[in-house]
Amino acid sequence: MTVTEQRSEIAPARRPRRGNRRRSAGTGVTGVIAGLAMLAAAVLLQTKALGEGAMSDPLSYTGTKGEAVDARRFTVRLDSFTTAKKIQTSDTETIETGNLFLIVRASAKSSMKPYHLGQPVLLTDDGKRFAATDRVDSQQTLANKWVQPDIWVGGLSFFEIPPSALPGARVVFKLPPQAGPQEPYRPEVEIDLGLDEAGARKLADSPQDVYSIVKK
Amino acid sequence: MTEPSGDRSNKPRRPVVVPAIALTALTVIGITALLGGLNEAPDEVEPLGQGAVLDQGLYDTKFVESRVRVERAQNDFDEDKRFLEVVFDVTNKGDETLPVGLPPEKLEHAFTSTTFAGSLVKITPAFDRDSGPFAFALSKGDETRQLHPGVPSQVILRYRLKDGQQPPDKVTLDVASFELTEGFNNAELEWGMVAEEAGERSYLPVIKARVTLPVKKGGTS
Repeated sequence: MTVTEQRSEIAPARRPRRGNRRRSAGTGVTGVIAGLAMLAAAVLLQTKALGEGAMSDPLSYTGTKGEAVDARRFTVRLDSFTTAKKIQTSDTETIETGNLFLIVRASAKSSMKPYHLGQPVLLTDDGKRFAATDRVDSQQTLANKWVQPDIWVGGLSFFEIPPSALPGARVVFKLPPQAGPQEPYRPEVEIDLGLDEAGARKLADSPQDVYSIVKK
Repeated sequence: MTEPSGDRSNKPRRPVVVPAIALTALTVIGITALLGGLNEAPDEVEPLGQGAVLDQGLYDTKFVESRVRVERAQNDFDEDKRFLEVVFDVTNKGDETLPVGLPPEKLEHAFTSTTFAGSLVKITPAFDRDSGPFAFALSKGDETRQLHPGVPSQVILRYRLKDGQQPPDKVTLDVASFELTEGFNNAELEWGMVAEEAGERSYLPVIKARVTLPVKKGGTS
């Protein structure tokens, strides 16, 4: 009962205030204008919203061959690349392809703590993504090396691709895939190989016969 | 208005039209019932044979052959192994490298897969769990688990045959297909297996083709 009594006491006090508002038409108009302005701002903001799936896209830092591309957590420099028909992976084993092996030599360092990089991806001009080949043991690739603060470490990555994938191709280095909840906006480094049609044809037509990665 | 005399144009129609409609309706219902009711007719499964080509949406697949293959012992401690193999020519039509995968262990779990081997949802005759399956692609005679986009690859599915186990005369594969659908938690299009709801929260793959391959025997390597 006390509650209802309290209300009845407060209610009369409110009434005159409302009455005041109604009386001044100017504030009403300003309110409407302010409301419309906020609505318009909200609609405009909405157009800036990330598209579907953009939340899971990584933050890409781009660069070209020979350039140290800083992705804040780690820095990658693509030193050189070449093509081959065969790769000698051990004293007894040589793998062969009907397409092309693209061998990428890159160096990396980190800024704060040690990382392993994941296997890189080759991104073609028409949006295809080639994973690094699993035919070369990952022990022999850059992905196996610890990337430490301020120490450049070099390593190789291997792709098996058709020659048509070469023009305009970029190599994307990133952290290894995560299990469980995914961190948004993970950094990645995208390095353009700088191959135009002619350059790609030249590279595809003159592959090395055997590329050896056997340590002597 | 039971039986008036004058109005001849209106009257005789009524007793004819009503039973006619009733009869027609009955006939339609009867025919529908005879044809299996209003439930959706089961999709016709395409029967395919050796050398057939199938568009699985995400993959273009040729069913090359089935054979028995013997792998000779590599050293004294090894022994000869016999495999029942099914050979495919597969082209990944997607935008990214995909794993070859493995056929599903249970039909109910099959629909989550987007791998090529994952689309081989049922293989008859069934083999023991310890005899396989193994699946891989071949690139110049070397094994890989990857199918790169737009690159035709030979894919081998194999089961190991036990000592003295006779290979079957033929192998039948139930093959599913894939389509681009809206993702589970976003509206981006992604590949998923064509499946239909079968009870609460369970999906079964739609069988696109049933492929029967005769098993070639006595092949060695």
